[in-house]
Amino acid sequence: MPLYDGKAFAQEGLLQVAQHCAQAALHAPQLIGKTDIKMKIVAGDELKHYFRVQDAGNKLGARFGGEGYKMAYNMGEPPVLLLMGADVTPIVEAPCKAACPAGIDVPRYIRLIGDGQYDQAVAVVREKVPLPSICAYVCHAPCEAKCRRGTVRDKPIAIEALKRFAVDHAGKMDVGKPAAEATGKRVAVIGSGPAGLTAAYYLKKVCGHGVTVFESFSKAGGMMRFGIPEYRLPRQILDKEIEAIKGLGVEIKLNAKQESLDKLFQQGYDAVFVSVGAHHDIPLDVSSPDLPGVMECLSFLRRVNLGEKIDLGARAAVIGGGNAALDAARTALRLGAKEVSVLYRRSRADMPAYSDNVEQALREGVKIEFETAVSTLTSKKNALHMECVRTKPGAAGADRLPLPEPVEGSQFSMVVDTLIMATGQSPEVPTEFALPLGKDNTIQADPDTLATNKEGVFAGGDAVTGPASVIEAIAAGRKAAASIDRFLGGLGIVDEVLAPPEQIPQISPAQEVLQQADGDPDRPQMGCLPVEEALSGFDKVDHGLAEKEALLETTRCLKCDQVGFDCGACGFKTCREAVINCQNRLNETGGEPWGWLMKGPSCVWRALELGISMDWAAAAAHRLNVESRIGMIPATIFMRMGYMEGCTLVTVLPLGPCKERWYFSPGTGREAFRPAAMERKGQILQYPPLWMRFTGPGRDIGRRGINVKDRWWEPPYTRLEIVEDDAWGDSVLDRDYAIFAAADDVRKKKNWRRLNLPKIKETLDNKKSQ
Amino acid sequence: MPRITIRDWPPYSPTDQNRRENTVAAAKLMMNAALTAPSIGASPMTEGEIVYGEEEQEQIARKMEELAYENEVWQHIFLYEAVMARQADTLLLLGNTRAYSDPWNGECGLCAGRPDCSFVYENREQKAGIIDTTDRRSDTLVKGPLCTIYAHQLGYNVGSALMVAVHLYIDARPFISIGLAAQKLGYCRNSAVVVGIAINARAKCEPSDPGTDYHLVNLDSAVDAIRGNVNQLTIRPATGKEYRHADPAKKR
Repeated sequence: MPLYDGKAFAQEGLLQVAQHCAQAALHAPQLIGKTDIKMKIVAGDELKHYFRVQDAGNKLGARFGGEGYKMAYNMGEPPVLLLMGADVTPIVEAPCKAACPAGIDVPRYIRLIGDGQYDQAVAVVREKVPLPSICAYVCHAPCEAKCRRGTVRDKPIAIEALKRFAVDHAGKMDVGKPAAEATGKRVAVIGSGPAGLTAAYYLKKVCGHGVTVFESFSKAGGMMRFGIPEYRLPRQILDKEIEAIKGLGVEIKLNAKQESLDKLFQQGYDAVFVSVGAHHDIPLDVSSPDLPGVMECLSFLRRVNLGEKIDLGARAAVIGGGNAALDAARTALRLGAKEVSVLYRRSRADMPAYSDNVEQALREGVKIEFETAVSTLTSKKNALHMECVRTKPGAAGADRLPLPEPVEGSQFSMVVDTLIMATGQSPEVPTEFALPLGKDNTIQADPDTLATNKEGVFAGGDAVTGPASVIEAIAAGRKAAASIDRFLGGLGIVDEVLAPPEQIPQISPAQEVLQQADGDPDRPQMGCLPVEEALSGFDKVDHGLAEKEALLETTRCLKCDQVGFDCGACGFKTCREAVINCQNRLNETGGEPWGWLMKGPSCVWRALELGISMDWAAAAAHRLNVESRIGMIPATIFMRMGYMEGCTLVTVLPLGPCKERWYFSPGTGREAFRPAAMERKGQILQYPPLWMRFTGPGRDIGRRGINVKDRWWEPPYTRLEIVEDDAWGDSVLDRDYAIFAAADDVRKKKNWRRLNLPKIKETLDNKKSQ
Repeated sequence: MPRITIRDWPPYSPTDQNRRENTVAAAKLMMNAALTAPSIGASPMTEGEIVYGEEEQEQIARKMEELAYENEVWQHIFLYEAVMARQADTLLLLGNTRAYSDPWNGECGLCAGRPDCSFVYENREQKAGIIDTTDRRSDTLVKGPLCTIYAHQLGYNVGSALMVAVHLYIDARPFISIGLAAQKLGYCRNSAVVVGIAINARAKCEPSDPGTDYHLVNLDSAVDAIRGNVNQLTIRPATGKEYRHADPAKKR
């Protein structure tokens, strides 16, 4: 029989026990089914960080520095810890919000629209997307695909139309001024598309870096200007958004194609963000693509969007099934083509174009030939002759889509004047950049940080993902800004609070409209220009919603962001009130704990439900004859160090020799690690529950300037004089900051999401002065 | 004279009674487990009651149905869970006695106020930190705000009780609605927040997978509907051939 290292063997066993406990927690019965428990096993060297942060609190002592931290200190002794937690706030993550690549708080802005607060609704969108108007006009709305209303045998909420309504009806949308002090660092952004502009906005406004955007074309906007036709995105909307970003101090250099990254660093830039987009057409594998009358889709759209008048003849065809193909087809109609066909080799279900774009194209008279491929292409008598063949789905290819196979005997011919190839796009990355490239010339970057293998160079947007949506590019720009800021020594926090604290209106315009409505509201359809009028120019095709339609539509929202029980246990009459209070508090603190332990406010039932899961984990350990003890204070240390991100209530389950008697028995050797002063304070606080229960909120509230209605702690209640002898003063707040600072140091080393220390310091200092 | 109630359905057979009484034994063990659950601050704060019997469960179920029509938000839930309260073999109620009157004072910050429990104190009549609990009026289902950490504590109690049910192979499911209705009827009267656990020892655990509109279409109502139409649907007069002609056991 082999000999085992006892300690390692024990730890190995305890790791299995921890997994068993985690399984038990996951299988615990649910009460309301709206609490997603998160767990993490921490063991070995990871615990060293825990002691460091905890010591930061211990050195300053005060309040819980005695018993609480004594307990916390010993809690770190077991070799394996199971962290368990959940978000127990009244705000439940709605499926629409989860589906948004940029994480826009969709239910919140729908609620604000219903309250008639259109400018606030836009501010909520802008908190995650610095180009809200563009987003409102061209987003493909992945949120609607996940809308719960749409999954309960009804149509999803018209989220995109509501967002556009808010943008169209909001007053003056001021993006504000740079909030951060100038850092002296400079960032070069290559490309002024959605990813580049987004990164520039955050790097300048929130992080305080100098930003120069280099655009190779004569106008800024990237694919938004040169790829998306004006009838989908009016240019005054685009120009307005770009001007707003320039107004922050972002410099945009036009006709400034960059060929070398090294030269940029030589010019003094500290970091570079490559967001060159995917402006290069991938040619079709058909012979003679350079015949007269054959055009590449992106260059065609670019020429049109730059104002060039192109004669396409009477008959045009487009090969492809993406949005670019349909944009080209609809543009061709507007340029005077009488017959426009789109040839796509797969079925409509497989078409990558947005359904709205497809429907509009069909409405305008574009003929779409599904399951059709072009086999040969020749030019005769100033016309293009295409031999086409019908296809059927074959075996799945690498992209999981069925590969089209020709149907025998289905050949047919087509004659057109112009053929536009829209068979794919790829980035055009200069070889001098020396960046690693992947499929279709896309840049390879770390998916979490968007860093390339070249130090200081980050890449995002279509240049990394290949052709994708505007909202995905915006999300990439946001992520890149955070990473670049961290690289430049900042905190990497790009969150903004732009919407003012929300008030609960006395009268809801949406409810008023609903009371006057006949029957249950249905999803509204946006009015469109008549086809003849639409094809006569490049005006926006759809009108947007009328105010009454928009208000009524907000009442269809199922409010998935609320628990929706309206029980009153948390202190608010409705879940809506609780959600608003919670959101306001999150905005106030930047999401960090308001109390020094956890993050409130909470839904009582979600907290209770989490308790059931935690108990099951502890019980599972008990069944295996392993000692455990649910601890809350040590868990807060881990929470602050960045573990269990997104959780507001965290506990720790230490597994192993975690004996209760340790906390009270002298001579265990642990005392030597604690300063004597703290030990004395700990002794003073041997009986905190006795006086705390009698006095209520505790001793240091007066110093924090908290005004409750009944100042009951003042005389004649002389009993309280005992606890008013408080020599610690603001040390509680100092201790809080020390813990935060030490925890942030750990986050920095682990490259995790940083704490907003300046904001925390400001909050704590304000409390001192109260 | 005490009430004498006669009802010809459903029949409570001796075997039925035996099964139900066994679940009472299970409920007692579950209650003990709840008391030994991990405890915040090691202060005693758990209260429990076992409700067993047709009349008592009917009373709670009717209270749930009454509450159902007070707010559209929870109406449907309360209606179908009332059926489950009625059908359960035993109900175990667990509550926390401190969440309303005696917040934790731990600066945890989990509630909607400042991290010093002032949110709870501000919303109560209190003197010197002693909360007056005699005012039990409330225009919400629960008289909030409650101390969130003690509500969380109740989760440990409920979890331990449910764990024992699992070990005893008894079906059990926690309900907010049962607890709230029972609380309004005076059960667990010292508690601020109560959770009800329906305990069943039947082959089919109905609370686990209720159908749509369960308050209307459930096993009992289905059986009763068949009984009501028994003459039309099941037992038919033999008006066709003489039955022995169709007897497959009889050789021609």
